[in-house]
Amino acid sequence: MTSALTDGTSRAPSTYTYTSRPRALPCQRSRYRDSLTQPDEEPMRYGNIMYDRRVIRGNTYALQTGPLLFDFDLEVKPVLEVLVGKIIEQSLLEVMEEEELANLRASQREYEELRNSERAEVQRLEEQERRHREEKERRKKQQWEIVHKHNETSQKIAARAFAQRYLADLLPSVFSSLRDSGYFYDPIERDIEIGFLPWLMNEVEKTMEYSMVGRTVLDMLIREVVEKRLYMYEHKEETHRSPEPEDEPGGPGAVTESWEASEFPEQSMSQTQGLLLDGDYVQRTTYDRRSSQERKFMEETELLEQDEESAMRRSIEEEELS
Amino acid sequence: MAHSQNSMEFPVNINTTQITTAYGHRALPKLKEELQSEDLQTRQKALMALCDLMHDPECIYKAMSIGCMENLKVLLKDGNSMVRIKTTEVLYITASHSVGRYAFLQHDIVLALSFLLNDLSPVCRGNLYKAYMQLVQVPRGAQEIISKGLISPLVWKLQVEREEEFQELILDTLVLCLREDATEALGSNVVLVLKQKLLSVNENIRSKAAHALLNVSISREGKKQVCKFDVIPILVHLLKDPVEHVKSNAAGALMFATVITEGKYAALEAQAISPLLELLHSPMTVARLNATKALTMLAEAPEGRKVLQVHVPTFRVMEVESHEKPQVAEALQRAARIAVSVIEFKP
Repeated sequence: MTSALTDGTSRAPSTYTYTSRPRALPCQRSRYRDSLTQPDEEPMRYGNIMYDRRVIRGNTYALQTGPLLFDFDLEVKPVLEVLVGKIIEQSLLEVMEEEELANLRASQREYEELRNSERAEVQRLEEQERRHREEKERRKKQQWEIVHKHNETSQKIAARAFAQRYLADLLPSVFSSLRDSGYFYDPIERDIEIGFLPWLMNEVEKTMEYSMVGRTVLDMLIREVVEKRLYMYEHKEETHRSPEPEDEPGGPGAVTESWEASEFPEQSMSQTQGLLLDGDYVQRTTYDRRSSQERKFMEETELLEQDEESAMRRSIEEEELS
Repeated sequence: MAHSQNSMEFPVNINTTQITTAYGHRALPKLKEELQSEDLQTRQKALMALCDLMHDPECIYKAMSIGCMENLKVLLKDGNSMVRIKTTEVLYITASHSVGRYAFLQHDIVLALSFLLNDLSPVCRGNLYKAYMQLVQVPRGAQEIISKGLISPLVWKLQVEREEEFQELILDTLVLCLREDATEALGSNVVLVLKQKLLSVNENIRSKAAHALLNVSISREGKKQVCKFDVIPILVHLLKDPVEHVKSNAAGALMFATVITEGKYAALEAQAISPLLELLHSPMTVARLNATKALTMLAEAPEGRKVLQVHVPTFRVMEVESHEKPQVAEALQRAARIAVSVIEFKP
């Protein structure tokens, strides 16, 4: 216990530096702890003079100025080396870290600048290209439009020329066809056709009717005369019973025969009867077409017919009798 | 000589805020257990220790493999704001490493984090934005954010946040997301929001907003929207800004926006040619490149061509100038050659 110090110095191992690994030391201290309530005991109680307050830089300023406990300046070197070494190591790490970052950033920036300028160039060229392309597109479109218009115009002109030629022919043909279908008429001719000719026909008809009427009247006259004569004859026959004037038998005979024929249509007579039939037919048809004036004639002729029929019967009876 | 004996006392805890980590490969499992503990203090201390450990990528990998991420996700919903702040910080540190980003994607942490967008504590939100910003540094991360539909909320937050630092972080995130896919953002009126930010006082915000507009106008729809909302006059105004990177980003945005005809004529009306010509002499290469390209776009319009025919010698000079990096020099020369050919184009 007491000789701890000298023992310690004699058994000191090689110098402790900051690279040395910790070693387990042989137990050099007292087995049992000193109680902390004994500060006034001998300083040699503390195993480590480092913590002893009374030792200042290796010198105990105690009464006996004996040999120094230790030479501070000598001992401090390794300790300082360790300390400073550790500090520098740590700070080196930190500084290198920052420097690395700064370098990184600087080189990045440089690269970035060059790259930016190249990029700008690329973009400029791209832009130029795009502008040129757009311009080309526009010009092409314009050109195409021009060609298109050109085509259209030429087509229009061709169409117009063709149409003109076609229509030029059309006009005379139209006129001729119209003229052929009679749409162009000479007004005088038309007037003549429409106005004059019907009138002419009317007049001709009237004239012919007049002649017909005249003939009918004549026929009636003749009949009357013949009737009178017949009546006169009958009168005379009742008195004289002699034949009558020569020119009349042919006539009344023909007349009676005709009346016979008319009364008995199934009896076909000679040509004269046929003719008279026709004449009767004409008469009848004319009667149909005529107005009341002719109807009067008709009634009279019917009356005459009836009279003549009775006369004819009598004549027939007479002939049969004779 | 000191003798390395263990004292009978427990060692002094130099950092009371942190829990003592176990040594070596026992550290993380022990921490994981402590993360699940009921005691608030333990949890907080464990988180603090975790923050320190997470700077090492191997630790992150180890943490992933033992399933710390799930614990962290649970802790995100914790009631105590300190816990949340620390958790978001841990996640932010994780996202700085690619292993960590991979962990984000594997364990669907983006969605879990998004619930904290409306968190009351600003520090927590700040860490959240930082985490997102780190995540989108890779394209895969940006795609993840887009696919989870977080762009509209982020745009909304951009308008609402007062802190300029947060605005910058959100803008950073948006810049990289917009590079990937701008369609969703365009649907949420990002152009209008960015237009406002272009006029901000803070130069970083202006420059980042211009960068975001650059990325927006890569897509055709973006270009059309930029023209529709009259952003081009503002961009032309920004070309005269005193800050160099603002000018270069504005020139870049114009370069893309003037590809379409509307953009060309809007820029010509806003008198964009003279500021762009000045920008050709700028010290920043990217500014010169962007300005050359923008002038090439404008030279396609007849009015622009007429004005630029006078300035052909400037481009000829550019054709032969060299730069230390051969790629950049080649790019500049090529841009100048193309510009000359466009200006002198006869139909």
